[in-house]
Amino acid sequence: MSTNVMGIFEFEDEFIGALRRLKESGFDELTAMSPIPLHEADHILGFGKSPVRRFTLAGTIIGAAGGFAMAVATALTFILPTSGRPIITIPPYLIISYEMTILFGVLFTLLGFHVVSGLPAWRDRIYLPASNVDRFTLVVECVEGDNSKLAENIILESGAEEVSRVEGDR
Amino acid sequence: MSTALEKFKKYRKPGYYDKFDYHWTMSIDLDRCTGCEACVVACQAENNLPIVGEQQFAMRREIKWIRIERYWEGEYPDIKLQFIPMLCQHCDQAPCEIACPVFATYHNQDGLNTQVYNRCIGTRTCAVYCPYEVRFFNWFTYEWDEPLEQQLNPDVTVREKGVMEKCTFCIQRIRQAKDTAKDDARRRVRDGEIKPACVQSCPTEAMVFGDLNDPDSQVSKMARNPRGYHVLEELNTTPSIVYLKRVQTDG
Amino acid sequence: MADYIEPTYAEVNQDILRAMMETGPKYWATLGASITVAGVCFFIPWFYQLEVGVGASGMNRSAVWGTYLSNFIFWIGLSHSGTLLSAVLHITNSSWRKAIYRSAEAMTLFSLITAALFVMVHLGRVWFVHWTVPIPNQMDLWPNFRSPLMFDVMAITTYLTASSIFIYMGSVPDFAAVRDASNGLRRKLYTIFSFGWRGTAKEWHTLGWAYTFFAVLVIPLAVSVHSIVSWDFALSLVPGLHHTVFAPYFVTGAIFSGTAGIVTVMFLLRKYMNFERYIREIHLINLGKLLVLLSLIWTYINIMEVFTTWFSGSSYELEALEWRLTGFYAPMYWEMILFCAVVPMLILFKRIRTSWKSMLTISILINIGMISERFIIVATSQPRKFLPNAFGFYFPSAIEISITIGSFAVFTTLFLIFVKWVPAVSLYEVKETLKPLRRSR
Repeated sequence: MSTNVMGIFEFEDEFIGALRRLKESGFDELTAMSPIPLHEADHILGFGKSPVRRFTLAGTIIGAAGGFAMAVATALTFILPTSGRPIITIPPYLIISYEMTILFGVLFTLLGFHVVSGLPAWRDRIYLPASNVDRFTLVVECVEGDNSKLAENIILESGAEEVSRVEGDR
Repeated sequence: MSTALEKFKKYRKPGYYDKFDYHWTMSIDLDRCTGCEACVVACQAENNLPIVGEQQFAMRREIKWIRIERYWEGEYPDIKLQFIPMLCQHCDQAPCEIACPVFATYHNQDGLNTQVYNRCIGTRTCAVYCPYEVRFFNWFTYEWDEPLEQQLNPDVTVREKGVMEKCTFCIQRIRQAKDTAKDDARRRVRDGEIKPACVQSCPTEAMVFGDLNDPDSQVSKMARNPRGYHVLEELNTTPSIVYLKRVQTDG
Repeated sequence: MADYIEPTYAEVNQDILRAMMETGPKYWATLGASITVAGVCFFIPWFYQLEVGVGASGMNRSAVWGTYLSNFIFWIGLSHSGTLLSAVLHITNSSWRKAIYRSAEAMTLFSLITAALFVMVHLGRVWFVHWTVPIPNQMDLWPNFRSPLMFDVMAITTYLTASSIFIYMGSVPDFAAVRDASNGLRRKLYTIFSFGWRGTAKEWHTLGWAYTFFAVLVIPLAVSVHSIVSWDFALSLVPGLHHTVFAPYFVTGAIFSGTAGIVTVMFLLRKYMNFERYIREIHLINLGKLLVLLSLIWTYINIMEVFTTWFSGSSYELEALEWRLTGFYAPMYWEMILFCAVVPMLILFKRIRTSWKSMLTISILINIGMISERFIIVATSQPRKFLPNAFGFYFPSAIEISITIGSFAVFTTLFLIFVKWVPAVSLYEVKETLKPLRRSR
């Protein structure tokens, strides 16, 4: 039977310490919530380079190629020479391509954010409003029994304000 | 059957056209021009130019596709007056064409700088870019008082507010002549068959209009005249109007 | 500053969310006045102009571009503030940006919207403006991508989209805070707005990366947008406009005017939303330093414009320059030099740059100078092109002046609506500037 053990911390350093000890003790199903980004938490939980960067790269490449292609293709559908310039003019179309690069880079990054972070969340998950104000919350998913007792001990020893069991999705 | 490479080369050629079908050109002999402004009146009649009214004229919103520019030099009694008819030069490298975001002005296969009234959205960029100031904007939808609306030319549209207009070399007359020539055994338009309203009305025949591609046309001969020059040549707009310098006879 | 006590995390939430969620009669009165002025001074004259024609303005044959376009450039310029402050200072890890960047980004967005409105006002046949957008149509016609105005269309669309996304994404954790502190309809709305944000390490990590990418993309975009706007002028042949320096000139002017705008808005926020603990002297001093730097660059470029024009010896350019410096609009030109080159030097005095009221005055004077600069560029170059017979004169009509005033009301209305929908100071970034919560304090 798996259960969720929640620990609420008032101080950041103790929170990070608890996370580290839990990870070292072999608990992998961890969720760490905080009101500010904590880079140490990212390290401990193993988040390296985010996959969002692939979305950005894809977007910029598609934008660059697509922007230039759009300018060229539309100029060729209805040939209207202007000002003694060629039909396919490079400098103006490069500017269009540049703007499209950035537009698609931004749009794909937005998509990447949603895909990677899993937001918007369609189901209710464990959440404590205080963890967005001034408390640090962690939730460990573990097996009921010795495991969960071990988790509780680690959390308490690290200096948690409160430990409890919670129902729901982590 | 052109290969992709040939097509690409065509699209990369500056100006796109290898040769204009007819290269409509005008020559204006400043020696013959008396500044009578018959051309101005004729243009107004032929092309349904709006009458903007006295108040708008005073605000410098007149619409005169061709105007006689006057320059005074010197002090009385040694005043010299120089004047020059100024109209759209139909530049082959027109600064105005590339400015329009919706292709309302472009260079057609006859070397004309065309204005497409129903495409114009009124950004007025072309008028800013034109160095000759020959583009005019319809600030309001101008109306003709009765009975002046009865003299409107049915071959030419009237423009509503928000649209830019300028000299078209009387494109309606060019089209008419080309149609007639096509019906008549598909021949080419002959020299002298087309006369824009200003050319037609000039009493001293200072203005000559024709096809520069035809080496025997009168305008080609005028263009070869050593007195010939282009206005604001240094701007590299390559205009299609050749002015023939007035011969000064002062002392 | 004496007696500054750092707020606690809980106090940060309380102060900022209270400012956002509580509204008093003063707010409603201001909002009502702003909407009225916007309607009477901007929209009604514009609708009259739509009916009658652009002739309701003061433009004429020799000056077909007028205040509508110069105001458009001014508002786009003002929009560069947020991008610089938010994006550039983010990738350089500046901590002093954290309290003020949210409002600066909002300024960017609303300036862009106001600028887009001016494009609509300027067009002769605005009901066809969709022809500038590349959508398939039955006429098989596409816009002319070689035109500088099309670069404009692409750039401003991209900038609007990118700015909106940038400010929204940065606000998601704060929307979660609003959700937690409210109930009823507001709670439901902000649950949707915040996407169910919980503040897990994964979410922070992803947001941090995405936000940095947005910042990195938006900076070259901002530079390119105002360069492209400057090319509407510089790509013409008009003497006085056809200068290569226009792109850096406009971008510098934009950041200059935008930073001055931030100082003005910060003063008002601090005063009316009680943000004294969050928007502090350090912000004022740093913004002041930025203003001095930009003023110096701007002055240099202006001197170079005059110098290169004189050096060229071109009769067309010299005519345009002489009219600019000594003609009808000479008082406006010299007022511009005074407000943008001389007055900002007062910031070098510590007493001035630490006084909120002095900085407010200086920032407003700078923006008056910058509006004059845009107007001078438009109004003193077109009437002095090449053919002396075509020289003219342009003076804005009453409707144009009314629309100019009304645009400030439009901007203010949008901003007033913003401060009640989005926390005007970023909660989580401010918390990051406070002392970290450690047991061993």
